[in-house]
Amino acid sequence: MQDDLKAAEDYAGRLAFTRRHFFAKTSTGIGVAALASLLGPEAEASSNGLTGLPHFAAKAKRVIFLHQSGAPSQVDLFDYKPQLKKFQATELPESVRMGQRITGMTSGQSSLPVASSVFKFSQFGKNGTWLSELIPHHGKIVDDICLIKTVNTEAINHDPAITFIQTGSQQPGRPSLGSWVSYGLGSENHNLPAFVVLISQSSAVNVDQPLFSRLWGNGFLPSNHQGVNFRSSGDPVLYLSDPPGVDKATRRRILDTVATLNQRTAEAYGDPEIETRIAQYEMAYRMQTSVPELMDLSKESEATFEMYGPDSRKPGSYAANCLLARRLAERGVRFIQLYKRGWDQHNDLPRDLALQCKSVDQPSAALIQDLKQRGLLDDTLVVWGGEFGRTVYCQGKLTETNYGRDHHPRCFTMWMAGGGVKPGISHGETDDFCYNVASDPVHVHDVQATVLQCLGVDHKRLTFQFQGRHFRLTDVSGEVVKPILV
Amino acid sequence: MLRWFLPFAATFLCVAKPVDFDREIRPILSDRCFACHGPDEKQRMANLRLDLKVGPDLINPGDATRSKLYQRITHPKLRMPPVSAGPALTAKQTELIKRWIDEGAKWELHWAYQPPQRPSEPEVKNRAWVRNPIDSFILARLDKEGLKPSPEADRITLLRRVTFDLTGLPPTPTEIESYLADKSPQAYEKRVATLLASPRYGERMAMQWMDFARYADTHGYHIDSHREQWHWRDWVIDAFNTNKPYDRFIVEQLAGDLLPNATLDQKIATGFNRNHMINFEGGAIEEEYQNEYVIDRVETTSAAFMGLTMGCARCHDHKYDPITQKDFYRFYAFFNTIPEKGLDGRKGNAAPLLQLPSPEQAALFADVKQRLKTAEASFSESKVAELQAEWETSHAASGSRAPASGLLTHYEFDGGLTDSSGHHQRGRVLKGEPAFSAGIVDKAVDFDGESHVDFGNIAAFNPDRPFSIAVWVRSNGILEMPILQKLSNPESRRGFELYFDEAIPVGDLRRGARMGFRLTHQWPDNLIDVQTVDRLPSTSKDSAPRPWYYVTVNYDGSGKASGLTMLINGKPTRLDALKDRLTGTTQNESSLQIGNKSLGRPYKGQVDDLRIYDRQLTIAEALQLVNDQPADASLWMAPEKRSKDQAYRLRDYFLTYQAPETYRALYAEINRLKEEQGRLDAEIPTTMVMAESAKPRDTWVLGRGDYRNHGEKVTPGVPAVLPPLPKNAPLNRLTLATWLTDPSHPLTSRVAINHFWQMYFGMGLVKTSENFGSQGDPPANPELLDWLATEFVRTGWDVKGMQRLILTSAAYRQSSKETRELRERDPENQLLARGPRFRLPAEMLRDNALAVSGLLNEKVGGPSVYPYQPKGLWEEIAYGDVYSAQSYSPSHGQDLYRRSMYDFWKRTSPPPSLITFDAPDREKCSARRTITNTPLQALALLNDPTFVESARALAQRTLTQGGKDATQRVAYAFRLATGRSPDTREIAALRDLAKAELAQYRGHQDEAVKLLSVGESRYDTKLDTAELAAWTTVASAILNLDETITKE
Repeated sequence: MQDDLKAAEDYAGRLAFTRRHFFAKTSTGIGVAALASLLGPEAEASSNGLTGLPHFAAKAKRVIFLHQSGAPSQVDLFDYKPQLKKFQATELPESVRMGQRITGMTSGQSSLPVASSVFKFSQFGKNGTWLSELIPHHGKIVDDICLIKTVNTEAINHDPAITFIQTGSQQPGRPSLGSWVSYGLGSENHNLPAFVVLISQSSAVNVDQPLFSRLWGNGFLPSNHQGVNFRSSGDPVLYLSDPPGVDKATRRRILDTVATLNQRTAEAYGDPEIETRIAQYEMAYRMQTSVPELMDLSKESEATFEMYGPDSRKPGSYAANCLLARRLAERGVRFIQLYKRGWDQHNDLPRDLALQCKSVDQPSAALIQDLKQRGLLDDTLVVWGGEFGRTVYCQGKLTETNYGRDHHPRCFTMWMAGGGVKPGISHGETDDFCYNVASDPVHVHDVQATVLQCLGVDHKRLTFQFQGRHFRLTDVSGEVVKPILV
Repeated sequence: MLRWFLPFAATFLCVAKPVDFDREIRPILSDRCFACHGPDEKQRMANLRLDLKVGPDLINPGDATRSKLYQRITHPKLRMPPVSAGPALTAKQTELIKRWIDEGAKWELHWAYQPPQRPSEPEVKNRAWVRNPIDSFILARLDKEGLKPSPEADRITLLRRVTFDLTGLPPTPTEIESYLADKSPQAYEKRVATLLASPRYGERMAMQWMDFARYADTHGYHIDSHREQWHWRDWVIDAFNTNKPYDRFIVEQLAGDLLPNATLDQKIATGFNRNHMINFEGGAIEEEYQNEYVIDRVETTSAAFMGLTMGCARCHDHKYDPITQKDFYRFYAFFNTIPEKGLDGRKGNAAPLLQLPSPEQAALFADVKQRLKTAEASFSESKVAELQAEWETSHAASGSRAPASGLLTHYEFDGGLTDSSGHHQRGRVLKGEPAFSAGIVDKAVDFDGESHVDFGNIAAFNPDRPFSIAVWVRSNGILEMPILQKLSNPESRRGFELYFDEAIPVGDLRRGARMGFRLTHQWPDNLIDVQTVDRLPSTSKDSAPRPWYYVTVNYDGSGKASGLTMLINGKPTRLDALKDRLTGTTQNESSLQIGNKSLGRPYKGQVDDLRIYDRQLTIAEALQLVNDQPADASLWMAPEKRSKDQAYRLRDYFLTYQAPETYRALYAEINRLKEEQGRLDAEIPTTMVMAESAKPRDTWVLGRGDYRNHGEKVTPGVPAVLPPLPKNAPLNRLTLATWLTDPSHPLTSRVAINHFWQMYFGMGLVKTSENFGSQGDPPANPELLDWLATEFVRTGWDVKGMQRLILTSAAYRQSSKETRELRERDPENQLLARGPRFRLPAEMLRDNALAVSGLLNEKVGGPSVYPYQPKGLWEEIAYGDVYSAQSYSPSHGQDLYRRSMYDFWKRTSPPPSLITFDAPDREKCSARRTITNTPLQALALLNDPTFVESARALAQRTLTQGGKDATQRVAYAFRLATGRSPDTREIAALRDLAKAELAQYRGHQDEAVKLLSVGESRYDTKLDTAELAAWTTVASAILNLDETITKE
């Protein structure tokens, strides 16, 4: 069945046609406003993404995706398994593993002993949700979030797994989630990109996993949909600052001169692309104000810094980036993609997981609370999680106080909160070994379908034809996880 | 957003002409019907295929209303495609289908699978316009549309256009002048010939091919460390420059290694199919990635040479084109025979590879190899064995020669904690169960991080007395970790400790630790703390056991860091003094301990043969200990009981110290030569190539494309819709390449022509250059495409000849000025009633700035270079500094100004200014680039140091060579950048800017200096600083002009 060909693409085509009809050869970048101002108010709406989108009423206008790169251990954080103590240091039963492939890092290990968590769990919130002592601040938001304990993936190594959750395919080449959203829905803010990326480094001691620009790449979509990395050192956006020795007045004079001459070229050649370029230069100029204003946290209140924790004054920290995410959400940025590196606890898990949680727990909770108190949580979807889970069996030597965990694709915990998602619930159950899904599995494509659903987008109808095929984020699968939606 | 103009373009045609099945009907059927009624057998519904000619049950030729197909697509309730498959066909589509059936429902094979037939040149009214057959085809089409071609572009515009198109660079002022001075009617043709002969031409052609070939300087997956594939890139440049016929170009890249008497260059060419991404992520599965590499070869080969999307048949039969899943794996089988590993590339290139020594390197290597051969020839293994046996017998009788004087304590750890120094300070286990396992000197004690051993209050040194501690250690830890401690308590830490600092001894970040020693009075201020400057050598492989180190700490009693020395394996080692202030005693009442958790991270690893002396050991003594002791211990064992390692060490000891002089010398020489050989080998550049395995892998159809799901076993082959392979030819890549380049192949020549066309016109004659299948766009001018394709073959695949033909056509020479009417009728310029106009590709943008400013370094080829790049782009996503290509250091000097095609291409963080201007990420084959227009591009052109430095250099050039007054200068710089002279309004605007900025910088000399200091090249200090800064802003404005960055 050819279920991926839908009207949206036709609309997209017609729109593109219209736009090209007047604006010639290229896709415009984040400067849709400038374009719109030339086309008039009618075009403004349509240039904000594809006509016909959202497909239905959106619960969320924007997404903050807090990707925990390296894969946090669900066994030690969210998926409480008190009965594991009984099996401590015993071999993982074959009836549980069932021949499931494991990585080259533990496949040579002579034994796969069960390692229960060393961390204490206690109950939080109205529903008495069990959470690890490592994430006490999550206790404060547990009534606002929806835990999904049964997310599962097919990849067992970082590169394919993170590429899968961010692009819907284990192999490179597809557009990222954020770029699909930018393509489909466009931007709400004409002075900022629709898709912004923020990166926080590891807080653990052991070496962390790399990231790849393809994770926020545009794949086969036009390159104006790629994520723009807002960096914590140097220029927040590449080449944003004027060169040394060029002040604002000089910059203005250069731009005015360029505009005057370009206007002349436009008259001579009649290519509307030139008008667009003039507008994009103005947009660049405005970004030189809007981006630093966005990145400047100095006007945030003491209470805010306190809420996000001491790291929040440190540029690039996860706390500072969570705070920035809120500021981006306030300004209508459509898709805000955070990466926190450092969750790959193959060994020394108790120490390194604690270090990671120390830097992530409070800011994650603060972001939810902050969005809520500003009334933004209702139409902002927040997603938290890694690319897979971690094994219940120990990698390396298991002792009473130390252990490591390998990659585990069969179940892991993510959480969602805000626009469109039921608060204070937990979805799906894993087995006693936290190894297999016992009920309500949620595949990575299901997560992606659900994110789009909250944005008012039918994941089967947001397509792009490339190499003859109507590609979509969720490839040929993906079911919206309806039970978690309001 | 790419295919919507197809129906639009088609509207030009459909007025009076009969419906064209191939162009108008098949695209509808393909897009809306094939998924369920097409080539994919598994998905096929109602056993109905619409990709083949259908029978009378479905279509009644000549009468649509009595044809079931038409009835179903217009049926109010049972309409096709069903609601679940999307909206109904549009009214226009159903009308087309109706007309097609009414006109007789002519069916034909998809155009791209039929070999091109050479059409005759069409008749046109305006013969005078036609310069070569291309123009007849274009004009015939324009005639039909009632359009007229645009006038020829002015000479300068045309010169600039063709110079960019053939060299990627703008014409120089001299080139412009000489061209304008040439009034002959053949001036343009002569210039095209000159440009085709320029070495720049090969670079320009290679630029596009690098996108197809997914060329990069890193592996792409995961850690994304470097590879060295530029020899292949240089081969491409050279192939174009020497006008290698295109069929040879294909054959050599696909199968150069299989040609009879293949030359080195022909083998290098096969790097084409090694440019794919390669993985070595720890824990990844070999077969999974080896499968991906082969799949990439299929996708790339089919897309780049045939415009086919064979990759769509990886998991199931192709949904639109007649390519079954089995076809896919038969094609795959051609590329599944190379001796490659699924996980490879940790240290650069992945096998199979070719060594490319310079003549000097080759000579040196041969020399060393010869000498090694000679040395080994005179080294008799049997004689050595005999001599060693004799020596073992005599030496065993003579006893240990370890230094005994001043020995305070000696733990052999050969199964217990006894002290064999004669002082009877037996150690005891306080916690855990330390194991005694094979060590360096017989057994060693093994600490697992849980064991704690206490030796009592021994070695209670005062800092004014000398001492020496000598011990074998082998760590299993990672982080800083004390080995041996005698400390008062965790707070003051009075006493001494020997420790490892952080190491990462396994996995990808393999590196040794530093060894350190502390002599402490009061932590953390009153102590001596020294560490080895260099990290200890680590293992070369994950699987190799970690090395043992023999550490000797010598202290002279001076109370200074300089009084501490450390020997590693008997060799003095440079030390860093981290702390050097010791003013009190270090004596304490505590025990000497290993593994006490309260004093730090408990020791993990082995310890062997610990000796403590109340004096310093000499280097000779330390060497004796490091060498003799393992040998001594091994000597007591029966030869058959020795481990491989022990046997090796004993032999090594014998041959190094005890064998007769001639053998010692020979042994030393052999070792030296082997080391030399290894070093030379590592220095020789390599390139990745294709090769055939002695034992080729089997190929199966893989269910869902998953490496684990073996289905039917298959042999190499090609899809049935394409011509058959030559009979009786071996089923290998050479046969495949020969088949591809056979003149009867329907796709190869068309696809190649299309690539050329899109370089010049911004869009191929088939817009979807990656897809000539039924979902692709039909050719805008099919007769022209086929004429060019057949002409290409007829001329012996003469690549330069085809470029000449295209670029000397009247069509190409047209002005790119648009009228409103033309824009509305043909926004994408598919009809070519005007010349091409689009923003320069990313590489040319930067090269243009470097060229007009005079900074460009025109060196051709060689290793990739590192231009300016904002700090931290690699580091913020990288893995760590042990692998290559994880941190970025810009080149210096001339390498900063190389052409952009030589920029080091890291796939997970590609050159930012190229990516900003729509370059692909090179992870996969890319057949064309979209062109976007964004504010990030404006920021890059205004503020990227490359462009700022170029502006300054252009200003400098203008001030020194552009005349004295502002008008002359503006004209000079403007002309350099755009090729043409500015008009009075343009001059006035730029002069005003110069004037305002001069005033600005006169008042702010310091700001001027700042601006002029951007970039590594120095500015001319003889020039007036404010003036140079002011003109730098003018130059920057000029470099940002739409006209400067556009090919008009």
